[in-house]
Amino acid sequence: MVVRGNPVEASASTTTLANNQSKDGQSFGELVVVDREKESINERTARFERDALEFKNQLYSAALRYTRNPHDAQDLLQDTYAKAFISFHQFEPGTNLKAWLYRVLTTTFINNYRKGQRRPQVRDSELEDWELFEAASHTSHLGKSAEVEALENLPDFDIKRALQSIPEEFRMAVYLVDVEGFAYKEAAEIIGIPTGTIMSRLHRGRKLLRELLSEYARDLGYGTGLSGEKSSGEKSSAEKKKSGTTLDGQVKR
Amino acid sequence: MNEELTQTCRLVMVAIHSFIDNEIEDSAQFNAIAFHLQECEPCAIRTEIERKQINLLRNLLTRSCVEVAPDDLEDRIVVEIHALAARMQVPGFFQSAFYERSIQPTSRIISQYRKTEIFIDGETTIEIEESHEIHREFPL
Repeated sequence: MVVRGNPVEASASTTTLANNQSKDGQSFGELVVVDREKESINERTARFERDALEFKNQLYSAALRYTRNPHDAQDLLQDTYAKAFISFHQFEPGTNLKAWLYRVLTTTFINNYRKGQRRPQVRDSELEDWELFEAASHTSHLGKSAEVEALENLPDFDIKRALQSIPEEFRMAVYLVDVEGFAYKEAAEIIGIPTGTIMSRLHRGRKLLRELLSEYARDLGYGTGLSGEKSSGEKSSAEKKKSGTTLDGQVKR
Repeated sequence: MNEELTQTCRLVMVAIHSFIDNEIEDSAQFNAIAFHLQECEPCAIRTEIERKQINLLRNLLTRSCVEVAPDDLEDRIVVEIHALAARMQVPGFFQSAFYERSIQPTSRIISQYRKTEIFIDGETTIEIEESHEIHREFPL
């Protein structure tokens, strides 16, 4: 890969790597001790309450989407804040607190709330070229004003229902990027996976969500007036054909 | 429409989500896509449809995912934080097994680059090779 006129970015990455390496192990531990002694526990508690509790509604919304029920979401949020408080002396003031808290939330969820539940069913193979291509080019029936209007009129309940029915890995990626607005790299760090993986999970998640939401909109009778019986019949056969291709492709891999 | 697609169209469509999300870091790739979209109307149209779809999805999700944490939950959190703060005052807390168990394990994904500067006839070319991403455990 040849990049011209980008030396600044390149050296920045190199520096980051060097910094990260020096922060390893013992030397970083000493840094933390210095930090901790500057601030009394009461001061740190006050700082935590002031800065971290501000995100409680956002984190609770994410917890609800992760766990899919209010009881677990409340437990998860409480655990998250406890863990975050205990680890708060490690948080570097001035860096992204929201992302840090999301990382604590997500790690806590993955480690403690997923056990006994569904294990990841999703393979993290990179998205195949043809698959993305198909996702992007198969938009002829989308984007029409009638369907847009139908989707916009969907009740919040249906949107949440759609989000809850896609696999957890996709859900987390879509939530972090599309709802919380994290960059791919940040979302990847929060979940603890490579950036390429977040990309494929996000794209697949979006695709699934779109399909579900269009389905809900059709079920509610929106948008059918314009497309008519014949064209909707054609559409479903086209979709069948498409899913056949997907199956073949997965078998081959 | 599919027959009209060139190899470039395919390459552009593969990267279209990253392009729309403004996540293409390789400036050469970004420029190549932007250039192609100026030249190729079908791709430009598909990109706009795709962009609208993503925006619509984002709007729907953000609209419906706003929740408010119950007041008593916040109370419980504050009570627990104060209880933990009291435990922290006890000498030896940061050496305790409880602390070790509760501390947030963290790791960071690091992209590794190899940067090569090539001087030919007074001109400098910089080659960046992005290798794999590595996972490293250490406190944030």
